[in-house]
Amino acid sequence: MAAYTLRRLGSTVVVMLLVGIFVFALLHIAPGDPAAIIAGDNATPAEIASIRQQLGLADPLSVQFVRWFWHLLHGNFGISIFSDTPVITLIGQRVPATLSLTVLTIAFAVIVAVAAGVFAAWRAGGVLDGSLMGFAALGFSTPVFVVGYFLIYFFSIRLRWLPVQGYVPLSHGLWPWLSHLILPTIALGLAYVALIARITRASMLEVLAEDYIRTARAKGASTEAILFRHALKNAGVPIVTVIGIGVALLVSGVVVTETVFNIPGIGRLAVDAITNRDYPIIQGVMVIFSGAYVIINLLVDLTYTLIDPRVRY
Amino acid sequence: MTLSRRTILKNGAAGALAAATPGTRRAHAASNTKIMNAVMQGDLRSFDPIWTTANISAYYGAMVYDTLFATDANFQPQPQMVGKWGLSEDKRTYTFALRDGLLWHDGTPVTAADCVASIRRWAVRNSGGQMMMEYVTDLSARDDKTFILALKQPFGLTVPAFAATSTPDCFMMPKKAAETDPFQQITSHIGSGPFTFNEKETRPGSRYVFDRFTKYVPRPEPPSGFAGGKVVKLDRVVWQNITDDQTALAALESGEIDFFELPPLDLLPQLQSNPDIKVRVLDPSGNCGMMRLNWLHPPFNNVKARQAMLYLTNQADILKATFGNPKYYHEIDSIFGYQTPMANGANSAWFKSAPDPAKAKQLFKESGYGGEKVIVLQATDFDFMNNSAQLIAGWLKEIGVNAELAASTWGGVITRRAVMAPDDKGGWDIFITYGPGYDWNNPITMVALGCNGRKGWFGWPENAGYETLRRQWALVSTLAERQAIAQKMQTIAWNVVPQVMLGQWVSPVAMRSNVHGIIGMPDIIPFWNVTKT
Repeated sequence: MAAYTLRRLGSTVVVMLLVGIFVFALLHIAPGDPAAIIAGDNATPAEIASIRQQLGLADPLSVQFVRWFWHLLHGNFGISIFSDTPVITLIGQRVPATLSLTVLTIAFAVIVAVAAGVFAAWRAGGVLDGSLMGFAALGFSTPVFVVGYFLIYFFSIRLRWLPVQGYVPLSHGLWPWLSHLILPTIALGLAYVALIARITRASMLEVLAEDYIRTARAKGASTEAILFRHALKNAGVPIVTVIGIGVALLVSGVVVTETVFNIPGIGRLAVDAITNRDYPIIQGVMVIFSGAYVIINLLVDLTYTLIDPRVRY
Repeated sequence: MTLSRRTILKNGAAGALAAATPGTRRAHAASNTKIMNAVMQGDLRSFDPIWTTANISAYYGAMVYDTLFATDANFQPQPQMVGKWGLSEDKRTYTFALRDGLLWHDGTPVTAADCVASIRRWAVRNSGGQMMMEYVTDLSARDDKTFILALKQPFGLTVPAFAATSTPDCFMMPKKAAETDPFQQITSHIGSGPFTFNEKETRPGSRYVFDRFTKYVPRPEPPSGFAGGKVVKLDRVVWQNITDDQTALAALESGEIDFFELPPLDLLPQLQSNPDIKVRVLDPSGNCGMMRLNWLHPPFNNVKARQAMLYLTNQADILKATFGNPKYYHEIDSIFGYQTPMANGANSAWFKSAPDPAKAKQLFKESGYGGEKVIVLQATDFDFMNNSAQLIAGWLKEIGVNAELAASTWGGVITRRAVMAPDDKGGWDIFITYGPGYDWNNPITMVALGCNGRKGWFGWPENAGYETLRRQWALVSTLAERQAIAQKMQTIAWNVVPQVMLGQWVSPVAMRSNVHGIIGMPDIIPFWNVTKT
């Protein structure tokens, strides 16, 4: 398994480089000029040209590419065109917010969805099943920003229980940190709750029909033991797979959620950089996101061996 | 099965109740009356207000730096950092003495040498400064607090240029920073203004923190516009970069922010119905829209085609399409904007008959228009530009002009508008933008009011007679003289049509009812003299 893991980690580097090259090409094909944005609307063409020269954007594309790629190979993601700050520093400043949001969302989604899926399977065809799956369908089909605005209106403006926006680091206290993340977590997590709950239900229904479940019941095992010890563990592989896919898909949801709730995370950083054509930031974020995506998939694959001893690499 | 539905519901209800108990309920934090949270017009991308002309950087500059002169509520320049000053009898030598008590944020005193270096750097980037320096024979410090500015001939705009808020503004910086190449960004945040920039608490792209400069000595005069005493009554101002309007609005309603510079116009009724929020027009000069025409290529290299656009344009429709409520917009007939001191009615007969598509069609025909493509750049991410481009393209098509919209983001438009090549090589014919309303009063600093060809602003209009008048405008001393020249300039302008005006509008700001004293002037929103009760 060690050899497999190392091989997969090696492929992660390749994927990150390929994504980097692709993003570089795409950005420079797309219209837009950071020098013109920096210069402001009153700037003359000569002033814009001067700024372009200083930023190295007047160099041939091949020169710019080799310079960027050489720096990337040395772990240098470059300097932000606008804030004149190393990209890695900017990303580092934004990681805690994004990590807080994604970890809470994953925890929320997994806990709620697995429980809902298990209970829906347990009461398959009943009112509880219908309600949970109806709720799941609603959650899956409602866009993140709609849920976000609704939550803000209801919980922040009407009830005034939770803040509308922003992020407070954990170092400022547990409640200030958590209170700023509850609504974004629900907004972002709802679609994943729906997705994971439906897969959990389907997988559990399949397992609950197995002979060994009937045997466990005949032996007098409790409902909790049957559901969570016998059935859920054996239904785990598809659930872990969909959780892995969901985590990878979180990236797009994070961008929207961070914008709606004004969370200074990596998603917001990427959106602002795209608006400003801050090429080094966009390239850096995309390379890191692609690496994270591959590593998440690797972790999912490795988790299979823990759930199902038959899986070997 | 021993796990009952009732057990699940009971436990669920208990959990929900626990979440809603007063102990966990977020008391709506009593707003701190010494901290102002504001959402400004955009993200602060550059901290060098001389290097960039971006307005938000000028806002930053006004907080952190100070100016030699400042514009009062009557738009007259008044001394700010300058104490005593004088002009020689021949009107060619200015002597400026700095007032007492001026300190940089690192505690060192502001010197005349700092100011000289700052003026020199600013003058490279500001069009008024560039023109002034053509006449300067000496600009040097006489002692720690006094410097002189000697001219070949009188230049009436000298003091108004120091006070002007058309970007880049003439902010004073420490000599070391001011000696930076004007085309390179400075890295320091040391100013002598009423606020210090708190780098430690700032998170670029997210929030920008300004603290009261405790050693700032305000002028003794009462505040008037940007002039007079800059008394800081808050401990801290935080600019929050909330990019989503709806979220910013909700944050204002909940009291998380105190000030929202650009609330969406369609949501103003919602804000106006909230007793905790007030909506105000701080800057009655607002913004003026314009349609720039490319003078380098057909069809707009022909004056008849340009004149046709004056008759084709229906300002009322353009303004209504974006701003809806007529309370917030006006049509304009002057190239100098709406109700500015230079605005006048010279040669504006077209305004009384426009829109007149038949006349526009006839003028296009007289121009020899041969059916070539007319590329209209359409910035889809700005309502005004987006809506105007669609309307204009539609009107052109109605009179038989082969108009084609080129849609992109504003970032795409500002790249393409710099292309001087013809349409088939990536060029353009029309683009739409706007500029701050009061800036239209000054043909030197307002780049769109130049007619200096390829050296000038996008569209590259060229007219020697107009340019001569523009230079004269800067040299004369009195308002009456400038107004007389402005009339002559406008007479030429509406004959040759460097651009078509698309109307003026104001953008109300929204703030919590307990915020008082926000300065209502064009171009900049500073936070001195502001209180929260």
